Amino acid sequence: MPQSKSILALCRHAPYGNALAREGLEAVLACAAMDQIPEVLFINDGVFQLLEQNPEAIGEKNLRRNLQALPMFGVETLHICKKSLEDRGLTPDQITVAGAELKFLDNPGAFIANFDQVLSF
Amino acid sequence: MTLHIVNQSPHANNALGDCLQAYVEGDALLLIEDGVYAATGQHDLPESNVYCLKADAEARGISIKSPIEGVDEVRWVSLCTEHNPIVSWFK
Amino acid sequence: MKFTLVVYGAPHASEGAATALRFARALLQSDHGIYRVFFYGDGVHGGSALSAPPQDEQNLLGQWQELQSAHDLDLTICIAAAQRRGVLSSSEASRLEKPAGNLADGFELAGLGQLAEAAAVSDRLVTFGG
Repeated sequence: MPQSKSILALCRHAPYGNALAREGLEAVLACAAMDQIPEVLFINDGVFQLLEQNPEAIGEKNLRRNLQALPMFGVETLHICKKSLEDRGLTPDQITVAGAELKFLDNPGAFIANFDQVLSF
Repeated sequence: MTLHIVNQSPHANNALGDCLQAYVEGDALLLIEDGVYAATGQHDLPESNVYCLKADAEARGISIKSPIEGVDEVRWVSLCTEHNPIVSWFK
Repeated sequence: MKFTLVVYGAPHASEGAATALRFARALLQSDHGIYRVFFYGDGVHGGSALSAPPQDEQNLLGQWQELQSAHDLDLTICIAAAQRRGVLSSSEASRLEKPAGNLADGFELAGLGQLAEAAAVSDRLVTFGG
């Protein structure tokens, strides 16, 4: 199927507290697998998905594995809201995702406006 | 321009605040469900293009403060056709 | 225009499930088309045939089914989200060795690819959060 619409996945929720973070990343991978490669923006509590995690302690699968799969599915750039990091006491140098290029955005609203469809998670 | 839809009370969590951080001049904001509690005039909202779903406000006994415009579901549909993308801010 | 609705709200738990229905009716009244309603996250409970609300409360399942049969709507339940939460077709139930299926008439189980496809071909996509 040709890529007819530009799609943004807006990831706004922290991992583990509810299913949105996991099911959001699953939807991103599914879109990419269908050749509808979305851009991804981590914003608000969604930036917490980017930290190193040890969820084995609570019997959960590590969401970072889904994140790290993104570049292999063609989602090579991860967009991150700079202010959301700052508001949470995080700095860009604390964030690494193997194989992905990280872009830190000053103006997420202008970025969002570029897309046809926004999937909110 | 983007249509932002907020369905959470501004007193419950930061969905409205998160939305406004991504709000760009010329965008539109629609308050629905518990989002209508932001339509009482006590909250800092953009000066124009702010809408509130009338049925949800009436259901909760909330008066929509001008210049926020009360809309029905059919007008909501036309707001969707006039704007793109449509972004929902929930939880 | 062709719209796709994405529903995360569980019926009778979160208002999003009912709001989506109101919006769907307004769309059809305004002569727009609904390409697909995709139920994801807790929204998949919307496809459970076992929902039995009291008579004096709105029956969301019945209302979706009426709208589906009147307008031949595509009501798709995400199969991965539904399996986790216990919404299964009879064939899924027997494959997974569960006692019974509970997928309501008028709803289809399908993969997340159906969300991707709907996003790709619809003019507008509206999310109804939980």
